[in-house]
Amino acid sequence: MQLVLIGMNHKTAPLEIRERLQLSCAEVDRTLPELMRLTEIREAICLSTCNRVEVISRVTDSEQAVAGLKSFIYGQGNLDIAEMERCLYVYRDLEAVRHLFRVTSSLDSMVMGEPQILGQMKEAYRMAVDHRTTGVLLNRLSHHAFLVAKRVRTETGIAGNAVSVSYAAVELAKKIFGNLKGKSVLLIGAGEMSELAARHLLRQGVGRIHIANRTYSRAEEMAALFQGTPVAFDRFPEVLPEVDIVIASTGAPGYILTKEMVATALRRKRDRLLFLIDIAVPRDIDPAAGEIENVYLYNIDHLQDVVDANREVRKTEAMKAEEIIAEEVTAFEKWFNALAVVPTIVALRGKMEGIVRGEMERSARWLGGLDAEERLRIEWLAASIVNKILHDPITGLKEESREKDELPYVAAVQRLFKL
Amino acid sequence: MMGIVLFKVALAVYLASAVVYGGSLWGRRVMPARFATGLMFAALVIHTFSFISRWLADGMIPAIGLYDVLSFFAWVMAAAYLALQLRTKTRVLGAFVSPVICVIMVIASVELGGGVGASAILKGSLVTAHVMLSITGEALFAVASCAGIMYLLQDNLIRRKKEGSLIRLFPSLRDLDRINYLCLFWGFPLLTLGILAGSFWARIVWGSHWQWDSKQVWTLLAWGLYAFLLHQRLVIGWQGRKAARWSLMVFTALALLLIVGKLFFRTAHNFM
Repeated sequence: MQLVLIGMNHKTAPLEIRERLQLSCAEVDRTLPELMRLTEIREAICLSTCNRVEVISRVTDSEQAVAGLKSFIYGQGNLDIAEMERCLYVYRDLEAVRHLFRVTSSLDSMVMGEPQILGQMKEAYRMAVDHRTTGVLLNRLSHHAFLVAKRVRTETGIAGNAVSVSYAAVELAKKIFGNLKGKSVLLIGAGEMSELAARHLLRQGVGRIHIANRTYSRAEEMAALFQGTPVAFDRFPEVLPEVDIVIASTGAPGYILTKEMVATALRRKRDRLLFLIDIAVPRDIDPAAGEIENVYLYNIDHLQDVVDANREVRKTEAMKAEEIIAEEVTAFEKWFNALAVVPTIVALRGKMEGIVRGEMERSARWLGGLDAEERLRIEWLAASIVNKILHDPITGLKEESREKDELPYVAAVQRLFKL
Repeated sequence: MMGIVLFKVALAVYLASAVVYGGSLWGRRVMPARFATGLMFAALVIHTFSFISRWLADGMIPAIGLYDVLSFFAWVMAAAYLALQLRTKTRVLGAFVSPVICVIMVIASVELGGGVGASAILKGSLVTAHVMLSITGEALFAVASCAGIMYLLQDNLIRRKKEGSLIRLFPSLRDLDRINYLCLFWGFPLLTLGILAGSFWARIVWGSHWQWDSKQVWTLLAWGLYAFLLHQRLVIGWQGRKAARWSLMVFTALALLLIVGKLFFRTAHNFM
């Protein structure tokens, strides 16, 4: 197959090295043409994200190519060779295929199942296509990898469950309100956690954000950041009837949102569902508030439980995903073998011989009038016509396979003759 | 005859879709539910053809007799559920709707094809309108209660804070509440029109709008209860758990009363 994948990721390389490498590899416009200048490289795709750098290529000579690729990468990072050597991994042929499938399916990611990597891989592929650095093999491999990622996504629950507290809260909010578009949120306490949750919520289309903080200037600051409304801390109960989601994260020693406040607010609320998220320790919201009808209260432990359970689910789902990937690697190998020349020639001959046999049978009636020797002559005639016709194409295919470079003829013959 | 064959095929496909929906719950995956929704749509199409062929064969809309009425009830449930799928993503709700459809279809199949030879007074568009409108209304209430059951389950799951995968699988509370509301909102006027059509027809045939017949009392009770429910929703602002619980209670009570009525009371309204 002559496929080589070389790279490093968050598991093999420390941040400082990834940083330096990523900076230069991110300029794909420059790196891709440079890569292609290496004599052994025929096709190449360069994937560079904050957690990994991978170069996948089809090469003419595996050993020389690896050496060439390594020195190329050392050049990019401008780093000590011994140090780099420890961080790099090299996969060949089917191992490379498997690694690529795992990366694209997000099994190799820092947060397993995160969806960004597929988009990044698609972008890397698009860049390679723009620079015309892909051919039959990498085109097929990339599309197969996207397919595998999709399969893993739909057939396993690997991406299904939130694995961060703030995202778990967003997921729950969606299960209560359906669509979060136009919902409004009240943040009580403008800390780091609530900021993160607010970001998630905004990405889901939440409409308005009210921010109440003991230090009013901080509330104003954050309000400016999210285009929200700052609220004076002691007046937050007044906006309660207008909001659907409350995230409390103050450092207050006791409950600052009582059951009574919630009940009063709910009476004035047209849309009577309220989701209370208490991520403060000690807690900010009286647990009794969660007993009110149509009010759902989650505290940090509840959310952490959800996250822990989800992590467990992801682990078991990852096993299923590995099975899918093993299956797909075999499928890819099959395709690759079928692409090889010999089976194509055999299939081509077989098809022609089948046609001759079929036509002889169709004409059996008038052939029956001939004696045995005449019939043999006709069969020989037909066979020799087929051989003459096939001679040049087969020679062409064989020549192509000897050069072991591109294999467009094989693909073309397979398509033209529907083999 | 063709109608009956198609009915049986439709029943089989409904059953298949119910099984696949069950698989969706069992495996905690939405994927099978999508497939099951497709199956239910196929069943609905076959079911529709069954109606049309029966209509063509008899020369009148098949709306008299247990078989036709229940079959139509199931048809409306399936159609309403699928139509609601266009606006809300509540696929797994089918796991609750499809078994009900299946049970109704099975009961209907007991009197397969029967009932059309009913007396001549039952022919006429007023009767057909009465049956179709009332049944449509009641079938919508059935879908509303299915959404209600699911709402209560999901509410419970979110409250208990366990079973994350089930919470994820089940539709959102808002969508379930909306389905419950929409079914109530459209079912009530249809039932009202159905009752009016029936009473006009009673006036023509029996000479008065109202006879204190057990079935009529039941219908009035149903109408009153649903009027109350709709009022609470629209005016008082009932929502969520309370609305779901009530719509489920009302529907169950009415279904039980209907069975009790059939067992213990004689009724002049004995056409099905």
